[in-house]
Amino acid sequence: MDGKLRELLDISENDFDVVVRISREEDIAIARQMAKQLAQELGFSLADVTKVATAVSELARNIYRYAKPGKIMIRKRPEESGGPAIQVVAADRGPGIESVDRVLTKGYTTHERSLGIGLSGIRRLMDFCEIASEVGTGTAVVVEKRRRKF
Amino acid sequence: MGFKEKVVPTIRISDSLLVPIQIDLDDKTVEQLQAQLLAEIQEHRVRAVILDVRMVEVIDSYISYTLTETAAMAHLMGCRTVICGIQPPVALTLAQMGIELQGFLVARDLEHAIGMVYSP
Repeated sequence: MDGKLRELLDISENDFDVVVRISREEDIAIARQMAKQLAQELGFSLADVTKVATAVSELARNIYRYAKPGKIMIRKRPEESGGPAIQVVAADRGPGIESVDRVLTKGYTTHERSLGIGLSGIRRLMDFCEIASEVGTGTAVVVEKRRRKF
Repeated sequence: MGFKEKVVPTIRISDSLLVPIQIDLDDKTVEQLQAQLLAEIQEHRVRAVILDVRMVEVIDSYISYTLTETAAMAHLMGCRTVICGIQPPVALTLAQMGIELQGFLVARDLEHAIGMVYSP
């Protein structure tokens, strides 16, 4: 199995500030709310709070639609060298993604009620985005956003 | 449609329907809102629906999808849809994700929206 994926799927929940299990539709809004709160606590601008909350909403929905149950784990990284940052790990042991390149293409979707914009949008909203996935094992997405100074 | 079935209370101004969205939209509520608006469009034969999203803090891809679909359905029922009050952080996020709210007239605020509906 992909080493990176295994590492992310086995990551300890204790290392995170918030863990939201995604199995019901309502959990999407809960994850979004928690992300917003942590970004606010780190002093992110309103624009960046909105971007982080939107990205988490997309990640949580992907789990809910394609791979539930899974979890969204969020941690503040106040001491990063590039300034305070927020990191989100979305992990599930669902079916996995056949082609990561394809799901990152804007407009690609396997769901009938979707713009196919989620993952490609997340990449544009965040500073860092990494996807590890294997069919039959699961998927882990790591995204990060640094606080910007104005 | 009874008050209790409405996820968002609406206001009728002459032949338009004003929809001030003052709740956090999630997947379920935006779907309920779509059903509610279609029912109200049919019931009251309104010429325009004005969605005021000033209080909405997050519009993600599924909320956009459902709102766009609602506007398309309203259009097929002979009704225009105006969206107004999109907050700057939401506008920024939508633009960066590459989401276009197709099928909507977009207004700055409620006054502008009403002007759009009633201008010749």
